[in-house]
Order: sequence, then structure tokens, then C-alpha cells
Amino acid sequence: MKETEKTKRISIASILFILVVIIGLLAYERPKFLYDNNTENALEKITNDDYIVTLNEINNSDYVLIDVRNQFEFEKGHLENAINIYTPEILNDKNSGLLDEIKEKNKTAVLYGNNPEEVNGPFLFLYQLGYENIKILAIENSYLQNKLITKNSEIEKSEADISAFIKDSHKYTSEKLIEEEVIIPPKKIIVRQKKKKAPEGGC
Amino acid sequence: MVEKKTAKVLNFRYAFLAAILILLAGGLVLLPKYQKHEGIKPQVLLSKVISQERYISTDLIADKLISRDPSFILIDVRDEESYANYSLPNAINIPLKKLLDEDSKVYLNQNQFDVVFYSNDNFYADQAWILCSRLGYKNLRVLKGGTNRWFSTIINPQVPSENKTAEEFELFTTRKAASMYFGVIYPDQVASKDSEVKIEAPKKVITVRKKKKKAPEGGC
Repeated sequence: MKETEKTKRISIASILFILVVIIGLLAYERPKFLYDNNTENALEKITNDDYIVTLNEINNSDYVLIDVRNQFEFEKGHLENAINIYTPEILNDKNSGLLDEIKEKNKTAVLYGNNPEEVNGPFLFLYQLGYENIKILAIENSYLQNKLITKNSEIEKSEADISAFIKDSHKYTSEKLIEEEVIIPPKKIIVRQKKKKAPEGGC
Repeated sequence: MVEKKTAKVLNFRYAFLAAILILLAGGLVLLPKYQKHEGIKPQVLLSKVISQERYISTDLIADKLISRDPSFILIDVRDEESYANYSLPNAINIPLKKLLDEDSKVYLNQNQFDVVFYSNDNFYADQAWILCSRLGYKNLRVLKGGTNRWFSTIINPQVPSENKTAEEFELFTTRKAASMYFGVIYPDQVASKDSEVKIEAPKKVITVRKKKKKAPEGGC
């Protein structure tokens, strides 16, 4: 009799366990948005330079232009056939549906804004969410008499040679200035250690 | 007879329960792979991306550099060549490609200093910022406009036209003084060099902060 009681307990316990797991599975809600790429993948993508599109290349039938500026600016003037998806509203049902549709059709979403810097954030964000067919249109938009003017813009172009400029300015003085007067040793980052308290009192 | 039958069925129950448990264990494989979802939630990341508060102006950085503020480190995310050619004082070079290396983590994932990213513009710096923010690193900033704006505002400030406000002229004087600090020499500076030196000298005196030594406690 004792033995049957023991086995009963085991089966009751295991049934309860299975029930708990099943309830847990049913109650588990899959988060709506999940990353599809980790940071390493994203870094790999952005260090290969193939995500930049220039103005001459946009007449590709595979490209879907997406304007990330707000509705007001979009209506003031936008590129032909562009869709407006304002950056803060990217995760809306409607907009993520649009992006999914582009993804399903195997087309490439080409993002643009007032300047490439503005598109950078949404671009990298969407890439990490798994929209891998995505590019940046490197243009600058401005208005002249309410007309949209678009021109190509070069990303991360160094505008001036600063060290040459500084050296050049030294021609004004005949004396040789003592350079590198300010030398501060590079900062070291110290891993925190627990401070040892100075022994108090005692003799 | 009935008892015998139930006993037969009951013999199988362990096998049956074990099968269900194995099935459930198999279900775990279907759960989303979590190493891909490292870092903060997408919604949070998006709101951070939209926010402009990560940007720090060149004037503020110049001011901090001159006053030798010890609370921040500058990270240059350009390649080694540009870094060797010109970099902001005491900047550390971490090219974008090496951003997620173990060595870089020491600088980025800590909470002792503010980290200020910069590049030629703020395009690459922003990318570095987004990736690091996703990983949950704290105290990250981006130098607005990068070295290009650093050049046009601090190193080579333009004289405001005569119809500009007094504030703009004041800003120009400050920037000019800052550019002198960073090594630029102006023609008018050479003539009145003595006075210039006198102006610069007290600045340094002000900024040296010493930690107060506490008197030892206890003892006999």
C-alpha cells in the first residue's frame, strides 16, 4: 500500500509540473518587435560601404523611396513616388506593415531625410530589427521659395585639414613657440576595487 | 479483470509522462534565440535614437578641454590615418570596425567617465552611439558636427559681420581665445604677445583642483 502511495505522488507531481509548463507556454506572449541582427552583424553591415545610394541611382525599379521626415515637410515637397514614414512612428502597425510588404516583395527600402545624418538612426535601427534590404539615400534637402531642392551629399567628408591649418597659422610668428605645452597623460580606466578602510583606533 | 487492465495502463504512465516531458523539452528549442536579442528593447532604443540629447556642442567640449575637466573621455571613431593626422587633445582612437572588440569595451562600458564619440561629421559617431546604446552602455554622448564643426567653430571661427549682435561677437572672442589655446596663432597675437601670455596664465591656475587630504582618523 505504501508503495502505491509513493508512485501516486510521483505521477501527481509530474502532471502538475507539466500543467505549469503548459500554462506558462500559453501565457507567454511573444514580444512584438525583436531584433534579428545582433550588434556584430550590424557593425559588419555599416563598415561595408554598400548601403549608400546616390541621387542618380534612384530610378531603379527595385527601390522604394521612404521619406523619414514628418508629414508637414513631406507634404511641402518630396521625391517622386516616396512614401512617408516619420521616424518616431516606424513601429506603428501601418508602417511596419508597409516595411514588411517591401521585404516580402524583395524590394529595397531607400531611406532619405533632410540630410544623411537624420536617416542614420532609423536605418541602423531597422537593420537591427531584421529589415536587411535597406539603404540610405545620401542627399541633402532644402527649400528655395517653397520648392524642394535636392542635391547629393558626401558622407563623413573631411572639410578641412586642421593640423595643416594650425601649422600654417604659425607663419605669423618669427619666434618658435613652444609646442605641446599641454601634455596630459591619457586617462586610465581603473577597475573599481573595494577600498580598504584605514584601521581606526587601536594601539 | 478491470483491475488488471487498469494496472496494465498504469504501467505505461511513466513512459507516457516521460514522453510528454521530452516533448516539452523539445519545445524549448523553438523559443527565440536570445543571444540575438541582446541589449535594450527595440522600442526603448527607438526613443533614444530620436532624442537629440546625446549631442554635445563643440563649444562645450572646448570649454571642458580648456578647463581640464576630468569627467569625460573622447573617442575618435575614424580610421587610424585620420587620427594620426589630427585628433582632439587626449582622444582615444577606436576605429568603427573595432568598436565591439574586447579591448574597446574597457573604455565604453564603464561608468566613471562620460564617453564622447566623434568623427568627421556625426554620422559614424552616431552609428557607434546607436550600437553601444543598444548594448546598454551608459553615459554616451556624440560631438555634434564632429571635427568639421570643430574646425569651423573653434579652430577657425569666422568674424561675425558688423550687423550681428553683441553676443555673437562675444562668442567669437571666446572661440578665438579657445583656438589660440589649441595652437592657432593669429597675426594680431604676435604684436601683443606679452599681454596674451598674461591672459592665458591665470586660466591654468584656476583649473588645477587638488583633492583635499583628510586628516587621518583614529590612532593613539
